[in-house]
Order: sequence, then structure tokens, then C-alpha cells
Amino acid sequence: MPGPLAILFVLLGTTIVLLVVIIARASLTATPAGKILAFLAFCALPILCGFWGLNEHLERSKQTAFCLSCHIMEPYGRSLYAGDPMYIPAAHFENHRIPADEACYTCHTDYAMYGTIRVKLHGLRHIYVQYFGTPMQPIHLYDPYNNRECLHCHAGARSFENDTHMALLDQIKANQLSCVSSGCHDTIHNATSIDKVKIWRPQE
Amino acid sequence: MNTGGRKFSMSFRLSGALLIIGLCIEAISLFWIHPLAFLAFFVIGGTFLAAGVLLFLYSIVFQHTPSSSDDSSAS
Repeated sequence: MPGPLAILFVLLGTTIVLLVVIIARASLTATPAGKILAFLAFCALPILCGFWGLNEHLERSKQTAFCLSCHIMEPYGRSLYAGDPMYIPAAHFENHRIPADEACYTCHTDYAMYGTIRVKLHGLRHIYVQYFGTPMQPIHLYDPYNNRECLHCHAGARSFENDTHMALLDQIKANQLSCVSSGCHDTIHNATSIDKVKIWRPQE
Repeated sequence: MNTGGRKFSMSFRLSGALLIIGLCIEAISLFWIHPLAFLAFFVIGGTFLAAGVLLFLYSIVFQHTPSSSDDSSAS
């Protein structure tokens, strides 16, 4: 069965062919059926294609390949293959605790209400800074990492419910104690020193 | 001389041309997974698509409808 992208390409092709036919034969629109056809070709189908294409691009922006396509993100991409299990992103990525093809998005999205919209606006800001501004060096998050993103998966997990986590759960939930910067799980991307770390090479 | 029909025909064709360019930009942008592909789709393709649709709507509301003499083959 063809995927949504193949169907979108068929729709794009069909719309273009319809437009060419109607432009070449404007008299087709003299009849009521022709008027409906023209409305479809000149209004309904292009709007449908536009929104479908936008949705496709937004879905693609979740892909790891999309995030790592910018030069500035290369060391962060390499850190996903760090051989040291203390590297939190690598431990998640290499062991498929997160979807490998949406690794960046899974941990860096915002799981609050309207979080997806907020993250997309951040993405637009990234693009603006990358192409029209000066990226900060080294790059860092706009806001401190929220424990909510970790708890989205880990809360309730058997491996999470140990004495240490349970004793600190209220503080963790309230972000009074950060998962990643309170000395517990603080080996994150470490992009500036990633070249000194052994890199894991997956076997095909 | 039907100037209204000719004017309609012109804006009709211009609208179609804008839409075809916008749809082609959208199709090309879908072959590339990169922020620039998104920008090309959203800014350039979106502008062409919006201009084409709006021009079409403007032409059907404010201008004369085409007759059989408006065929490009006949002009």
C-alpha cells in the first residue's frame, strides 16, 4: 500500500495536470461541472496539498537526520554514538530506549499542553539564528532541562522506582532537583570533548 | 470586444501559473530533509500557493467568467 508521501506526490501531480488542462482549455469552466473542476484545481486541491505538505515537513522536522543536518549539531550527533554508557543520550539512543529516528525530538520536545507548538516555534528560532543570526557558542538550551521530559517515560517504570528516586520524587517533579544537573545523571552530550571518547559503531 | 473576459482569462492563467510554481516548489522541497527545504516550502512555495489561490478567488468574484473564445488554442 502506498505511503502518505506517495499519495501526496500523486495529488500534487494530479493538481498540476488539472491546472494545465484548465489553463489550456478555459472554456471548460463555462459549464457548471467545469466550474466545480476549476474550483477544485485552483482552490481546494492546492490548499489540501499545502496543508498536507506542511504536515509532512513538520513530521520530518522530528527526525534525527533533520536536526543533525546543520553543521553546528554534528558533535551532538556523534555524542549519540559515545561508547561510554555514562553518556545519557548515547545510552538511550544506542539501546533504543527512544526511537532512533526521532532521538533528538523525543528528549527535547515539550510534553506539556501546547508543548509541540512551543517546540516548533523554537525550531523556527533555531533556523533564524542558523541562517540569519549568529549561533551561540557553545549552543545551549533556551531554558533549563525540565524533569517532566524524563518523567514522561520514566515515571512509573520499574527501573525508576528505586529508593533514591522515590525519596526525592517530590523534588524531582517540582524541578527543585534536576535529573541532569544535580550530580546524578550529569554526563549529557559533552559535545566539546566528544572527540576524546570512544565511539560505538553499530554492526549492520 | 470582451475586455472583462480577456482580463479574467489573464488573471486565471496567472493564478494557474503561480499555483503550478508553488506546487512544483512543494514537490521539490519534499525530496530534501533539511531546514532549508522547510523554509523553501513555507516561505517561497507558500507565497506562490497563497497568491495563486487568492488571485483565483479574486478573479471569480470580481471579473467576468470565460467563454469558449477564451481557450488558449483560440487566442
